[in-house]
Amino acid sequence: MHRNDRTPLNYTALVKKARKIEPPAGIQHKIALLADVSTQHLVPLLRVLFADAGVEAETYEAGFDTVEAEALNSGSGLYKFAPHTIVVLQGTMKLKGSFYHATGKRSTFVPEHAASIESVWSAIRAHSQAVIVQSTFAMPYERPFGNFGRLMEDDLVSKVAEINREICLRARKHRSVLINDIEFLSSWVGRRYFFDEKLWGMAKTLCALEFLPDVAQNIVDITLAASGCAIKCAILDLDNTLWGGVVGDDGLDGIGLGDLDEDGAFRSFQLYLRELAARGIILAVCSKNNEAVAREVFQKHPAMILKEEHIAVFMINWEDKATNIRRIRETLNIGFDAMVFLDDNPFERNLVRQLIPDIIVPELPEDPALYVRTISELNLFETAAHSALDANRSALYQDQQKREVESKNFGTLEGYLKSLDTKANVQRFADAALPRITQLIQRSNQFNLTTRRYSEAECQVMMEDREQYFPFTISVRDRFGDFGLINVVVLRRSPAETVLEIETFLMSCRVLQRGVEQLAMNRIFEFAGQGGFKEVVGHYIPTAKNGMVKAFYEQFGFRQTGMEADGTTHWRMATDEYRTRQVFIDSSGE
Amino acid sequence: MTKSEINEKLTAVFRDIFDNPKLEITSQTTANDVEGWDSIMHVNLIVAVETAFDVRFTTKDVKGLDTVGDLMDLIAKRVK
Repeated sequence: MHRNDRTPLNYTALVKKARKIEPPAGIQHKIALLADVSTQHLVPLLRVLFADAGVEAETYEAGFDTVEAEALNSGSGLYKFAPHTIVVLQGTMKLKGSFYHATGKRSTFVPEHAASIESVWSAIRAHSQAVIVQSTFAMPYERPFGNFGRLMEDDLVSKVAEINREICLRARKHRSVLINDIEFLSSWVGRRYFFDEKLWGMAKTLCALEFLPDVAQNIVDITLAASGCAIKCAILDLDNTLWGGVVGDDGLDGIGLGDLDEDGAFRSFQLYLRELAARGIILAVCSKNNEAVAREVFQKHPAMILKEEHIAVFMINWEDKATNIRRIRETLNIGFDAMVFLDDNPFERNLVRQLIPDIIVPELPEDPALYVRTISELNLFETAAHSALDANRSALYQDQQKREVESKNFGTLEGYLKSLDTKANVQRFADAALPRITQLIQRSNQFNLTTRRYSEAECQVMMEDREQYFPFTISVRDRFGDFGLINVVVLRRSPAETVLEIETFLMSCRVLQRGVEQLAMNRIFEFAGQGGFKEVVGHYIPTAKNGMVKAFYEQFGFRQTGMEADGTTHWRMATDEYRTRQVFIDSSGE
Repeated sequence: MTKSEINEKLTAVFRDIFDNPKLEITSQTTANDVEGWDSIMHVNLIVAVETAFDVRFTTKDVKGLDTVGDLMDLIAKRVK
């Protein structure tokens, strides 16, 4: 899905490719565009870049400059199209015109425009739970006051910057409003190249055609992130990747890590990686070295930014890297397609690419000073959800390793589970937990019965509808650490009123075989009993990744009532037939 | 650049943009004569011509282009 290098996307080549798209089997996505610029040149690019990512995109273009009209009209083509994602794209050319015309009204220009944009989100939200992707404005290049404009109230450039800031601040308060940062894109290429005045006159295009592919790729990246595709882990080589030189030859004192020149470049790279770790990316090390010698650098080198505690898994030995990366994958229990491998050595990169096709292996430049830039350009770490649990995931894996050491001391699984002193909190969806809930819903692939991807806005609807939906979560901690919120169940009152349907049942793979699934099922049937439901039904929808839960309902004694051609199975159990399972988890203190 | 050089290069641009290696153009060719030459493709064509010939047309230049011959004259006028 991700590209390994950033050869510039070529507009003409993509237009040609767009004529011959073979719709990929599998994921379909409906994306609507509301814009006050023309979108005709953007749409074929979106379709082809989605197809490259394995998604068949169906697009809807509202009429030119009908953003508010379409959003506010409940019967508009926009809502009839029933999109999954709505992109709102406003251009600087029109904004500029509005600003110039608003003589005497400059002081209210920013709040009025920001409020108008926000009202579009509210109007959309009243009729749709689609993810909204709101664009920021490219900064204009004209400065009626020159540099002095930055000190003026009534300055065009300052006002556009303020509107962008307002958009971002207000978006934070809305569910499922994501930002398409055109301001970033345009400043990255340069305003002087981004704007094309003649094309605006001819066809009202957002920008020069050659940058439309980047705009399209940006939208694709954001949409995919909101649908659950996310990089979770960066695997790092050591010698000449994290520091200059080879520690086995140069020794602890001889490796290059400091403030100047190349040494400084490696430190900057480590700072960036540490920031990724803080943001929730798991770091792993895969290096051909003597383990003690390599670890010593983390433990003792004064200029190291990354320490042992930042790294979830160390695979340091003399075996080949593909084998080691497979071990890392097994330990972390995430897909190869959620991993990035960073190594300065082209031989290693090519080897891993060949032996593990799914993992992402960017080409790294010769100069380490360009590592951060090269990786940033690929925009690998796009996300649509972030929760407090993300800070330093590597520590969570280290807690796990402590548990594993402890488990070896116990003769029986029961003894071990009891010793963990596990506590759980079972709770209906709550406002503060929605970001984490959404993140789990979007990212869980393996222990996921139906792989339904709800947006945060859809989760809120389920949270608030106490008649129809009974969605709950389980958060777990034990004496070694806090897993946080790791299980999401959505129960729905079936149209046949005495039937309770399990619409969603998913769990993080870090808490398998500890009793959490049994606790959840116990709660489901407790609830069914209290609510007067005679039966509980569930479904298993197979995907490439969730084979592990194929027999989940069978394990609890459900009867299979049907199977479809694609392998989907349906299950049923009478409420009074369920046998409560014993769990070694204390869920009493809620 | 001679007229014939412009013709040759412009034919290559048309063939590339319209993805038709056999496409032939004359100075009388109009948008009606070429399959797929709609307003969207027209913009793509103008930008491709500018890139291929390393020219920048003015806003006025690109209005009132009726035939390929008009386009060839324009290129001859603007190319260095």
